[in-house]
Amino acid sequence: MKKKVLSLLMASAMVLGLVACGSSEPAASNAPASNAPAASSQATDNGGAAAEDVALTFTWWGNQTRNERTQAALDLYSQQNAGVTFDTQPAEWNDYWTKLSTLAAGNSLPECLQMDYSYLEQYVSAELLVDLTPYVESGVLDVSKVDPGILESGSVDGKLYAICAGVNAPSLFYNKTLLDELGITLKDNMTLDEFKEVARQVYEKSGVKTDLPYAAGDNYLPFLLRAQGTNKLFNDTSLNVANAESLLPGFEIYETGTKEGWIIGADVHAELTSNSVEQSPLVYFSSEATQSWCGFFWSNQLSAMVAVAPEGMEIGITTWPSDDPKQSNFLKPSQFFSVSRDAGKNEEAAVKVINYMLNSVEANEILLGERGVPASSDVAAAISPLLDETAQVVTGYINDVVTPNCSPISPAIPDGANEVYNYYNELVDKILYGQITSEDAAKELFEKGNIIMNR
Amino acid sequence: MNKTHKLTLRQKLNTEKAAGIICTMPFLIGFLAFMIIPMCISLYYSFCDYNILTPPVFTGMKNFQRMFTDEVFYQTLAVTFKFAFISVPMRLVFALIIALLLFKSTKMTGLYRALYYLPSIIGGSVAVAILWKRLFSLDGLINKLFMALGMKEPISWLGDTKTAIWTLIILAVWQFGSSMLIFLSALKQIPTSLYEAARVDGANSWQQFWKITLPLLTPNIHFNLVMQMINGFLAFTQCLIITQGKPLNSTLFYTVYMYQQSFLFGSTGYGAALAWVMLALIAVITWILFATKKLWVYDGGL
Repeated sequence: MKKKVLSLLMASAMVLGLVACGSSEPAASNAPASNAPAASSQATDNGGAAAEDVALTFTWWGNQTRNERTQAALDLYSQQNAGVTFDTQPAEWNDYWTKLSTLAAGNSLPECLQMDYSYLEQYVSAELLVDLTPYVESGVLDVSKVDPGILESGSVDGKLYAICAGVNAPSLFYNKTLLDELGITLKDNMTLDEFKEVARQVYEKSGVKTDLPYAAGDNYLPFLLRAQGTNKLFNDTSLNVANAESLLPGFEIYETGTKEGWIIGADVHAELTSNSVEQSPLVYFSSEATQSWCGFFWSNQLSAMVAVAPEGMEIGITTWPSDDPKQSNFLKPSQFFSVSRDAGKNEEAAVKVINYMLNSVEANEILLGERGVPASSDVAAAISPLLDETAQVVTGYINDVVTPNCSPISPAIPDGANEVYNYYNELVDKILYGQITSEDAAKELFEKGNIIMNR
Repeated sequence: MNKTHKLTLRQKLNTEKAAGIICTMPFLIGFLAFMIIPMCISLYYSFCDYNILTPPVFTGMKNFQRMFTDEVFYQTLAVTFKFAFISVPMRLVFALIIALLLFKSTKMTGLYRALYYLPSIIGGSVAVAILWKRLFSLDGLINKLFMALGMKEPISWLGDTKTAIWTLIILAVWQFGSSMLIFLSALKQIPTSLYEAARVDGANSWQQFWKITLPLLTPNIHFNLVMQMINGFLAFTQCLIITQGKPLNSTLFYTVYMYQQSFLFGSTGYGAALAWVMLALIAVITWILFATKKLWVYDGGL
């Protein structure tokens, strides 16, 4: 008996060990901190100020291009400022927020972090970010070259918490090569009906389908509702719409597409990583049935999309379709830089780094607008000759197409809104599977959305 | 020798009891710091409105009441039960069959054992999950195979609510290695004299299996069943990587829903409550498995 108990224990220990191995997640990749020689010979810039050593953590989400460029820009900063070193921690979008909120709970947020518009309000109301206004007043942070509207988007209740890292706008990427072959030309600021007509024609002529935003309610639903005059979808405890009918536009186009067959269904999306540039049906497909002529993205993602497009496929850029483009379209800070509450005595050093990212031409010659058109107009002008063709197209799109024809961005979303968006995504799924009409979906979203927000 | 005499420190440290405590210290500290204390904290959170960013606010039973009206909660429970109750028995049957095949020693047995054990080591990994996703995609190997055999249209395995869960079940069944090893070692402990006696009595190998092998394996089957059942209810990686619950939540595992609530929807308190309900459920199921043990497990000596 004793032997049996022992063997059982041994076996369970073994199995537990296996479980532990199987479920251990890869540790966040900590790219080695810049080890550029912060030699004293290079410290002459600072007048040899015997600055004490400062180690800053800088974290962001993004892609490989961004990781490399940001690392290089920070390395340059270390060279110019003796004693400042960086621990850089890039991550993926979803993991990023999980990681950041856990770090916040442990009072160990990185000094410098990349912030998103949709999370700004939550982080400010939890008092996790440093008010940058005093640094603007003292001149450490120079925001004189930033458009007031853009600067304002990083403010909550009149205090500046986040500095825009670049400007972007919703953009529809399309397969220009295919549309040229089919003899279809797109115009900017399409209405929904014009868009549907294009979708039908492409489907009839080539069998290629249309990819509407999938699992992206947080972007697309407000965009559609803005055209109806609903600029703010959420109050703190309810949906800011009068009735279910106001939510109908969020579903109708999916229903039409499903009935007429030209939409990429949920079954195809089940295999793809949602909202990934690399796996967009625009560039990633195995047959006409899984190919799309368009994709809903953001202007700063064009370079990434062009990079993964099959050879010979030209990618065009235009606005997302809307019945009232001027109401729907907006300029958005693609992401922000913020300094966290946990920076402590390194607060000013961290603010200086953000000032460098914002205003240094040298830094932006490395970053090259990968985060969107630089917020500082001086920097934007200085680097524009260096931009490749794609980046120039994006700048042109922002300046000439969107800027003259857009409205201010909607307010940041409160707690609970992400769950409402997730529920919206589920309802869109049901429409794509033909299980529900758009009227019923709108009703359910109205009811359940109010329940979620009121929780 | 009179043991009531006071011992010096050196002597105290030299006792078996002291050695035991010292040697288990690393485990005890880790167990307390990384299991018991976090569990207590999570229990507290389950009674709070908490979103990680702001301090928790005590709300009593609100999180638990919320479950009664949460459709997705019931949906994920159903999915998880289905997954566990199908994949675990299938995995055990599979493990037993392979163990019986590998029991006969040949030159290559060692290699085969290692090969069949491999999926258990790598099966929970992210890389295999991604590979699995590719296998079952529209232009993946499985569809190519069926098309070569004459199927007309590729099947969207991951996109159909009926088939998607099966891709996860098959992945789980494929990881039968640890159960197989336990069965193998148990098979070796069955005395050959029993089989010899049976052969003398004229039993064929089929009868030998049912009358000797299987009854003597029941303790191991029971052990495997308990362990795998617990693992089955806690499955996470496969779902998160391969399906994320798509389509229509038909593959949304309980643990993944818990993760979504905790980290994506900002309802960490609710997530903690979900975790405790799962703990209670697993406890009940394990209790049932032990309560029914005497009905089918052979517990006598040999």
